[in-house]
Amino acid sequence: MSDALAIRDLHVQFHTRRGVYKALNGVDLGLRRGEVLGIAGESGCGKTTMGLAVMSLLPRNASIPRGQVIFDNKDLVNLPREYAERVGDRFKPKEHERILRRVGKALARIRGRRISMVFQEPMTSLNPVLSIGFQVAETVYVHDPALLARRVLARSKTTPQIMREVLTLLGATQGGEAALRKFAADHDLVGLEEQVLFVWRREDVHISRKEKAIRSLAGQSMKPWERKIIETVAKSGSIPPQFARVPVLSKLVRRILLKEGSRKARELLTSLGIHHAERVVKMFPHELSGGMRQRVVIAIALANNPEIVIMDEPTSAVDVTVQAQILELVKQIRTSVSASFIVISHDLAVLAEVSDRIAIMYAGRIVEVAPTAEILHHPLHPYTQMLISAIPTLEGKSVEGIKGEVPDMRAPPGGCAFHPRCPFAFEKCNSVVPIDFRQGDDQLVACWLYEGK
Amino acid sequence: MMIAAYGLSKFFPVRGAFRATTSLKAVDDVGLKIQNEQVVGLVGESGSGKSTVGRCLIRLLNPTDGEVLFDVPDSELAEYEQARAAGATERVDAIAARFSLLRRSTSELRAVRRLVNIVFQDPYSSLNPRMKLSTIIGEPMISTRFCTRAEADIRARELLGEVGLPEFFEDRYPHELSGGQRQRVAIARAISTNPKLLILDEPTSALDVSVQAQILNLLRGLREKYGMSMLLITHNIAVVAYLAEYVYVMYAGKIMEWGAKGKVLRDPQHPYTKALMSSVPVIGETRTRSILRGDPPNLISPPLACRFHPRCPVAFEVCGWSPEEVAEDLEFLVGGKYYGTFGDGVRLTVEGDRTIIIQGTTEVQKIQELVDLEKEDVRSLKSIQAIDVADGATSVRLHEAIEPEMYPSPDGREVKCLLFRLDASAPAAMAPRSAG
Repeated sequence: MSDALAIRDLHVQFHTRRGVYKALNGVDLGLRRGEVLGIAGESGCGKTTMGLAVMSLLPRNASIPRGQVIFDNKDLVNLPREYAERVGDRFKPKEHERILRRVGKALARIRGRRISMVFQEPMTSLNPVLSIGFQVAETVYVHDPALLARRVLARSKTTPQIMREVLTLLGATQGGEAALRKFAADHDLVGLEEQVLFVWRREDVHISRKEKAIRSLAGQSMKPWERKIIETVAKSGSIPPQFARVPVLSKLVRRILLKEGSRKARELLTSLGIHHAERVVKMFPHELSGGMRQRVVIAIALANNPEIVIMDEPTSAVDVTVQAQILELVKQIRTSVSASFIVISHDLAVLAEVSDRIAIMYAGRIVEVAPTAEILHHPLHPYTQMLISAIPTLEGKSVEGIKGEVPDMRAPPGGCAFHPRCPFAFEKCNSVVPIDFRQGDDQLVACWLYEGK
Repeated sequence: MMIAAYGLSKFFPVRGAFRATTSLKAVDDVGLKIQNEQVVGLVGESGSGKSTVGRCLIRLLNPTDGEVLFDVPDSELAEYEQARAAGATERVDAIAARFSLLRRSTSELRAVRRLVNIVFQDPYSSLNPRMKLSTIIGEPMISTRFCTRAEADIRARELLGEVGLPEFFEDRYPHELSGGQRQRVAIARAISTNPKLLILDEPTSALDVSVQAQILNLLRGLREKYGMSMLLITHNIAVVAYLAEYVYVMYAGKIMEWGAKGKVLRDPQHPYTKALMSSVPVIGETRTRSILRGDPPNLISPPLACRFHPRCPVAFEVCGWSPEEVAEDLEFLVGGKYYGTFGDGVRLTVEGDRTIIIQGTTEVQKIQELVDLEKEDVRSLKSIQAIDVADGATSVRLHEAIEPEMYPSPDGREVKCLLFRLDASAPAAMAPRSAG
């Protein structure tokens, strides 16, 4: 099977007043379908830049001189690069507004919808003046209004009679998802099944209460003209321009769909282990604890069933007990959601818990990629070895720092960027950038020590 | 004894928009001791009050209550503890007058400042950006009159070498340095007056692991060379494991457990310490975790009695359940999982501080069944003492809560958990270690 995402020879530079900062210098990395890929490295090695480059969220002073990020046979960085080439060195928002809008539109189809990201600080990535429910709902409303429209319609079309059939079906198939999906499609009720299944799968509620809740989904009244509008949205897949242009209509659509989105937010948050989600959706970010905020941010990232989720330091702002909760949650969602994950962290122990493979970054390059067990027990690259021996353990074994500092990326050292700090460096390391050498089954290491082995 | 704190408390006033001023109990009745030449670790989650303890100890903050004795001979300390236990106020005062940090005037403190120093968490904000490194390092020497300005300059240069920086750095400014280098400067500043006690407030949390390892080795070397006592405040348990000899575990402003490092870290006894240790991710090890539910409590209105009981996996009858907590859990069960048994129309109200009234059902038997079935999972139900019918409603009475104290354990540690209370009145099921 082909990779879910492939990064090929990616270079990213930041143009600053003090010179060109070469943040990424040829990253080669493949994300396999359904896996969790951990990315580790010291601060300033380009982990976050890589995540942002994949999302095309790089700031304006960044340029991508070379490289590709291939997702679904398309090159994601090509669009922004094309734009950068056309505008040249100077950014002139007025002159290039049209190009900018076109690039933004093309990216919006992918970003947040098929690839989403959990940002570093949950405190700053949530808007403090909007309620949690709104912020989750908004993501769905912007990217997939048809989903919300279908959900509203399905509820308004169901009758108590249909709901009884649904309940018998659920009882007969023990909550069979496929059967329910088929039933919904047959009865033109697509969008109902996920609402029913959400209630059905709750474990903390008595069965008769669930049945009552499912029955109450039926027959919510809707004015005929409202229904007509929502039907159009459901059919066209986005909010048609004839509504978007008329303020009264666009407001109406927005109101109905955001309300539905808030309902979906409640389901999402409950599935991520938040109790009393109906209360939480009405709260504001400052009312939540760090762990809850992190769950909300994860909920927003998962809201549109993305194919790839990038998590940037999901646990570095929280305490160790909450970190344990979040790690368990990540393990749980990777089994329930069919997405591939990239988890970025400076803490190898965190990555060891959740990831299938780990990539080690140094100075804007991947120096080693291997399955988790391999990299922890048989690290090959000298940097990986030293990084692992620098981690203090509960046993209090002696730790070894890596001498020297992370290089200045405005003038990175020639050859292998690690050679000034590497105890095994020899002449070749100073001059020639190492290529990836395959070791064992699935281990790639970029170090000349392994040439010809 | 280098420093000993008794009953240390720090309450911060909190003013609400409409409410009267309340207080945030950041540190509540904390006792802590550091022997000469000993490294003591203080671990806990953020907001547990560990930094506040560090600051109160050396009077960067004035504690609300408690006593801190500094550099007191062991014999006098033993006498002080006896007198304190016996309530001999005069004797207590006599000893405290000589050794207490809290009773010193500002000018007297200046002499003490030479003997204690602190390294702050964030090396980016704790160094003055307008000062050269030599000035930064020399400042404590001059302000405590440790030496003259000229001598301070010479010593600053020596100290730079001591912490592994080249001497020509003396003319540099903090912005020219990396995080690890800055933290080295902060350490050089802290040891400039040859202190006997060094408080390290999260010395490595802003640094990368490779740099963290360098700093840890530097600290270990300095301690061996100068034999100073250290208080290492950190949330990183592995750092404590590397440097400290004794460990105090804090939660929500209280010490939960303390003892020798090997014992506390390898064989934790307090349920919180157990959960904390099992939460630490360890490379190459997959363990069964005890995941704590929920979040640390709000310290403006902390939980009754044991502050850990709402999250505790082994909490029992007397841990401090309030009727509100029990009512919430009961309501959740009655309305959710046991909906089939009770149906609609069950209302729970809290009456007084030990009773819950359940309206809409008088089926004591069924409630008792629910409680018996669920109480191992929903720990708050354990606190239900009796269920009676009165005036067409059911009333649920709760056990009285007991405030836990530090209970000594045979292997030399102390644990603040009622499971370790070794008196006869404790129910049989509460013997230590049975909690598993």
